Amino acid sequence: MESPKTQDDKLQMFFDGELAPDEEAAVRRDLEGSPEGAARLREWEQVRAAMKGVAAEWAGEIDSDALFARIENEIGAPVVPIERPEHGQPALHVVPGGRERRVWGGVATGFAAAAAIFLAVMAWPESQLDPSPITRGSEVLEADFGSNTGTIFEVEGGAGESLAVVWIDDEEVGLP
Amino acid sequence: MSLIRHLLVIAILFGASVTSGASAQGSSLARSDRASTTSSVPAEVLVVLAKEEAGKIDPQLEKLTALRRPPFNSFRSMTILSRPKLKLTPGKDALVSLPNGRRMKLTLLRVMPDGRYKVKAAINRPDKSDYLPLLQVVASAGDPFFVAGQTYQGGTLVVGVIVDPKKSAQ
Repeated sequence: MESPKTQDDKLQMFFDGELAPDEEAAVRRDLEGSPEGAARLREWEQVRAAMKGVAAEWAGEIDSDALFARIENEIGAPVVPIERPEHGQPALHVVPGGRERRVWGGVATGFAAAAAIFLAVMAWPESQLDPSPITRGSEVLEADFGSNTGTIFEVEGGAGESLAVVWIDDEEVGLP
Repeated sequence: MSLIRHLLVIAILFGASVTSGASAQGSSLARSDRASTTSSVPAEVLVVLAKEEAGKIDPQLEKLTALRRPPFNSFRSMTILSRPKLKLTPGKDALVSLPNGRRMKLTLLRVMPDGRYKVKAAINRPDKSDYLPLLQVVASAGDPFFVAGQTYQGGTLVVGVIVDPKKSAQ
């Protein structure tokens, strides 16, 4: 006696038409031997007949050979380069004179930088360019009055500078 | 794009050359100025007779405001006796005759780093050293120093010395 699973598998193979003719005849006899089996067999034959009819209709409508031939032609066809439209992308167009404007813009920027450096150097206070500070006025470093007496003064000049004055007492001398 | 870079580099180099040229010109002028002053510097000696008596102040002295301040403010008349111009050469004495028979000897010692002139002065009778044996002064261009106190003709001699490269020596 076969297990239920084996019976189901055999029924499935019977419905799919995969059984050998003798096994198919034996399964058919078993199904026809009972009312339930006979009903299942009739339903299966109706479904099978409907599927065959639909398949026949599809097969008549679709020319599979022509379809595969067209696919093969498409795959084997040479690559054709895509032609770009002449005015497809206006944003990428080269504007005449744009390069020249950029060049002259760069030149103008360079000269402006050079002029700025030049003016900065020329306008820089000369006292900062010259490391030695400017000292105005005069001053006494050393004085030897000899046998006389003298005094060293500082007097303010017109610009506020300090001017050195050496004052030596003297008796009038005559011409030689 | 490379053209723009080249032009920018040229422009920057041009600017740098102009600025460096200007700086070099300035520094070279300063060097030449100092070199010329080191070789020979014009100077002027102002010999003034000042008296306490009322009188006239020489109009040429009006710009010397220092002569109206102490210790000169006691003088009420000032007359320019002489105004010799000379050239000071480092290491070489320049002589100026004074009206009282003395001579003023001026020597340019050096040009200081700050541009001032270091000058040695002496006032004596010929072959004598009885008045002012030695005086060393530093003075900026155009700013005078004064030696005063010698009596002369009832007044006082005020001698001003101005070292000024802008002045031309006679």
